[in-house]
Amino acid sequence: MDNNETILGAIDPEITDRLVTRRDALRQGASVGGKVAAGLAMASVPVALAALSKDAFAQTPADVTAVVNFALALEIFENEFYKAVLGTSASAAQNTAFAAVRAQVPAAAVPVFQQIQKHEAAHVAFLLANGATNSLNLNADSFDFSGNRGSGTPGPFARATTELQFLLAVAQAVEDTGVRAYKGQAGNLLSNRAVLEAALRIHSVEARHAAKIRRIRRANGAPAVVKYSGTISGGGAASAGAGNITPAPSAAVVAAFDAIYGGEENVTQAAKMITALPGLPNGFDAAAASEAFDEPLTRAQVVAIVQPFFKPTLS
Amino acid sequence: MPERKGTMVVQHADELWRAGTRRGFLKVLGLGGSIVLLPSVFAACDSDDDGGITGPNGSATLNLTTDVGILNYAFALEQLEAAFYTAALAAAAFTGMTAEQKEVLTDLRNHEVAHREFLRSVLGSAAIGDLALSTPAVGTATATAAAILKNAEAFEDLGVAAYNGAGKYLQDASNLLVAGKIVSVEARHAAAIRDLREGLSLAGTPAGTRFAGDDVVNAQGLDVKLEPGAVLTRVGATGLVTTSLSIATQPTVTAATADAPPPTTP
Repeated sequence: MDNNETILGAIDPEITDRLVTRRDALRQGASVGGKVAAGLAMASVPVALAALSKDAFAQTPADVTAVVNFALALEIFENEFYKAVLGTSASAAQNTAFAAVRAQVPAAAVPVFQQIQKHEAAHVAFLLANGATNSLNLNADSFDFSGNRGSGTPGPFARATTELQFLLAVAQAVEDTGVRAYKGQAGNLLSNRAVLEAALRIHSVEARHAAKIRRIRRANGAPAVVKYSGTISGGGAASAGAGNITPAPSAAVVAAFDAIYGGEENVTQAAKMITALPGLPNGFDAAAASEAFDEPLTRAQVVAIVQPFFKPTLS
Repeated sequence: MPERKGTMVVQHADELWRAGTRRGFLKVLGLGGSIVLLPSVFAACDSDDDGGITGPNGSATLNLTTDVGILNYAFALEQLEAAFYTAALAAAAFTGMTAEQKEVLTDLRNHEVAHREFLRSVLGSAAIGDLALSTPAVGTATATAAAILKNAEAFEDLGVAAYNGAGKYLQDASNLLVAGKIVSVEARHAAAIRDLREGLSLAGTPAGTRFAGDDVVNAQGLDVKLEPGAVLTRVGATGLVTTSLSIATQPTVTAATADAPPPTTP
């Protein structure tokens, strides 16, 4: 049963019949009189995805300032991560930490990291120029990229500083987390359309980054779940595509990937099961449905994911 | 091509379906002109302003003051993308492409068809009709592997620009979230196709940067964006769509910002 038919049927069963008739006619390539078709289209009921969506914005409403401040913290994190990888960090300790893996980065990947870092730096500058405040005074030394909050003991992500495949998987995860974080905050920016538009334009840049990292990984031995199309296939740790990393990532890293990609396997959008839609190509499966739509993370979910890399406490 | 842009005025709904009028649509649209539908065209209909008005492939007008209208705008773009990739996969040129190119194009076809069918489903009876395509234009666009990849890049960057420009006009947070779920996938596609084409020695972007080149991401780190009118002009310029797509009512939520269009695809 089609949801639309249910809604329409409750209001005017006759419209349902006519709609179905017209749809069937169009599918069969038959022509329908202009006035009839136009009349049908205009006799429709308003569509409210809000009433259908399971992805309610249940998180606490945050004001625009809170969103841009949160975005700034994430952008500083990303920027400092790539600067450490490239050896351009203001912190000698960060540059030294990544020296081993830096030597393994293929020459062709260096301009990729440089381009990404350039964008992250631009995002930091843009947000600062548009009302964001670095209230935690984050700088190059504020981060522990091994994921142990600077406790002195290397955390579960320390392998990113010595192993290229591990580093690339982390870079992919960083970008995808950024995409998901912005997506989750978009609804909180409806009160300021200019900021919303800027956030959307940053959001898609992060997605471009994530896609390129995936393509580099796939070309360097990552499994087929790491799509050349740059999309996230499935969800949870499996969609991180860490199969080419040996030895296999630790349980702590797998748990982190599970959180980073948790929910990406979703195949139901606005109460529509994508795999059950008519008109899909042969071979269209749940993986394809998950790839076609990226999923958001709430602020709390993002904080839980990135907190291990921040020495200061995020809220 | 002459630069003159035409405007066609349609006074009666019946005119929309006459062969002569439809030829006029193509001509005007191909020149980047606009179609004006006088109010009397809709007088015969019960106007309850559902954001999409459509006839059998002749025309579709969009009321962008409503979320339904914005989603119909997205539906139109997804129809175009889906039709293009469907044709590309069926084209003779596809068989000669590399395994990687085939994987990417098959994924893109699957995702765009899913977007199209999803939007059709959520819009229900408010959805505009199926856009009619120009068979010769589609044939040209998919005639060679190079043409397929070039047009794919143009479509994906245009899709990113379109969603980035239209998202701010949505009024419901759930609708905005759905648009956000789609636009980042379009951006992944754009990066993948742009990266695939980097090996073609294209001018304009240094090696290793084309996925998010300076031609699409500005100095502030912001991606492309286009207002709906500019997007439809580009769609018209492709000559792929023979259905006239026009905007009956522009968004009123907020003033448009300056466009940051994707470059002419090399």
